[in-house]
Amino acid sequence: MKKTTAALGVAALATALAACGSSSGSGQESGTITLRVQGMPPATDKPGLAAFEKMAADFEKQNPGIAVEGSSADYDPLTFSAKLAGGKVEDVIKVPLTEPQGLIARKQVKPLTAELARWPHYKEFNPQVLRPLSDSAGQVYGVPQSPFAMGLVYNRDLFEKAGLDPDRPPATWDEVRDHARRIAEKTGKAGFVHESKNNQGGWQLTKLTYAFGGDMEKQDGGSWVAAFNAEPARQALTLLKEMRWSDDSMGDNQLIDQNDVIKRFAAGEIGMYLGTPGTYRLAKMTYGMKDTDAFGVGPMPQAGGNATMTGGDVYMVPRSASAEKTAAAVKWLLFAYAQPQYDTGAAAERAKALAADPNAAVGVPTLPMFDEAQQAKIDEAVKPYVNVKLEHFRPWVEGTPELELRAEPPVQAQAVYAVLDSVVQAVLTDKDADVSALLAQAETDVNTKLAASRQ
Amino acid sequence: MAFLFLIPAFVAFGAFSYWPMIRGLLISFQETNLVDPATWVGLDNFTALLRDPLLSTAIANTLLFVGLGLLIGFPAPLILATVMSTVRKGAGIYRFLVYLPVVIPPVVAILLWKWFYDPGHGLFNELLGLAGLGPFPWLESPRTAMLSLVIQSTWAWMGSTVLIYLAALVTIPAELYEAAQMDGASIARRLWHITLPQLRPTIGLLLLLQLVSTTQVFTEPYVFTDGGPENSTLTVLLLIFRYAFRDGDYGQAAALAFLLAIFLGLLSTIYLRATRSWSSA
Repeated sequence: MKKTTAALGVAALATALAACGSSSGSGQESGTITLRVQGMPPATDKPGLAAFEKMAADFEKQNPGIAVEGSSADYDPLTFSAKLAGGKVEDVIKVPLTEPQGLIARKQVKPLTAELARWPHYKEFNPQVLRPLSDSAGQVYGVPQSPFAMGLVYNRDLFEKAGLDPDRPPATWDEVRDHARRIAEKTGKAGFVHESKNNQGGWQLTKLTYAFGGDMEKQDGGSWVAAFNAEPARQALTLLKEMRWSDDSMGDNQLIDQNDVIKRFAAGEIGMYLGTPGTYRLAKMTYGMKDTDAFGVGPMPQAGGNATMTGGDVYMVPRSASAEKTAAAVKWLLFAYAQPQYDTGAAAERAKALAADPNAAVGVPTLPMFDEAQQAKIDEAVKPYVNVKLEHFRPWVEGTPELELRAEPPVQAQAVYAVLDSVVQAVLTDKDADVSALLAQAETDVNTKLAASRQ
Repeated sequence: MAFLFLIPAFVAFGAFSYWPMIRGLLISFQETNLVDPATWVGLDNFTALLRDPLLSTAIANTLLFVGLGLLIGFPAPLILATVMSTVRKGAGIYRFLVYLPVVIPPVVAILLWKWFYDPGHGLFNELLGLAGLGPFPWLESPRTAMLSLVIQSTWAWMGSTVLIYLAALVTIPAELYEAAQMDGASIARRLWHITLPQLRPTIGLLLLLQLVSTTQVFTEPYVFTDGGPENSTLTVLLLIFRYAFRDGDYGQAAALAFLLAIFLGLLSTIYLRATRSWSSA
């Protein structure tokens, strides 16, 4: 059995480090500021690392007095708190888009609006990509890298084997169900899979609920309460239940998260899942997908909601950074992540460097970081270096602008997801699950959590 | 002078054990984001904790794990050690085989077992399928998930316990068995009247250690199931982990950790008092 240390161990991990360091990481008072930034590719990704180093050198040349020190670490909730408490966290952190709202609510990241606004093109940012990084007062807390909208990723190869048209991904959830059944029947693979653990079950159910026209939370007399115990989420869960138990088109493994899904998708075991074009990189670079031509992505299928959710990675500045470092960090964020989406020269140069690695994915379409005209210029500039089959992303590129881009539930999103994880798990692992009863119980649980939270 | 020799140990324990424990206790009465100065919130963290519907689920699941651990995980190594102690040839190989799982890093072993438990074509379902049984959902059903966790952790941790029992069995004087044999006692009677009473102090200690460690079960539910399906494997430690690292609510995490520590302290005290006669036997 697990030989844990003291019972207070979990809290102690954070506090032990807190005890070790108490400086706020203010950097040198005079001379050069050393800016520690996450987002550096690991040593195994040589061309990516070389491109990052060149980017850092160019930045230092343009900004004398700032030295960039890269870190290949990403935001990790296990170590973040301890590093933050000890003043050891980097000055720029790379965070998946599920986390910013929690970090903002806990005041663990810095508002950057004042610094960002000094950039002449700040006002031209696509407001949709900044919304998930903003608080209710409109303060912005970060800069996105490759913003995405959720869609439906599918295996074109399995589509063909099942006699389906790989250029026409399902547009409605009825079609998803039909396609999943046919893939399962014809190929023996899972037609469609739905994540269910690590809060990702609730996260995916939220996207589904949006697509069915529902809401997760609503304001009721000044405080937030659960809104999902209604027809849209009920229909979404009933659909999953039918696909799992009547059609048997969701495979055998149900306790899965996104990594499990992409790993199995890369191995050709899965027909469809909810994801962004960005998961192409994971499938190819992390899980070694051989037949990348089989990767296809369409817009989020709909059932009356005409909506989807944003996704991707963002860069933020932790609260421990001094004012001086925050100013330097914002300069870096704009230089490294915003400018290449605005300045065609920078975009082309970056794409060229990346394309040197046959394992890199260059040209994966994103949401426009600025307006569509600007994005078209960028797309044109990187065209010579694109090494992905753009036509396989076309359904997503063309279909997504038709949809409303919705943000995550505004209050305690992770807590809501945690409760809904077990609802999704019940539907996928228990043939007799009662969807209405599960939603009613989840509503009570979420309302208890929302009432207890300091909203 | 003697005190001087104690200083290094005192400093090390103070910095890495006692101080974090005290900090943990203080945080349980605070609200903190670990950056700004913490605010004192009195018993708020404890009341929020008691209102969490998952707390009772986590406690019940932990007790179930402890109970199943006692039922399956506790007698298994004792029986195995007794059988192994009668083996004359190749005893070393058996010991090596039994101890092997302890050497495998826990997460690696769990990921391996995840494949064994695969509801589609996992090793267990394939094997049982040959006998016309199953397929069983193993980790994918609230009814069998916890049992699956207990079976794996029994396999994983049995090795050390078997070795301790084997060492204790060697110390039992052979003449006791000879005398019993001459009186015509069966194997079962010899086991009941000689082996078990002679092993009593060891059994008592191992039982306490198992109770304390199974109450703190974390790695298995975290890696296997993340507490699912339907929170059926959500344990107290996993709940503490979720509060701290998923919700960023360090105060509530520390409050639950503190309550767990008190519970384990009380459990150990009661147990040691109740079994005082055993160890002096």
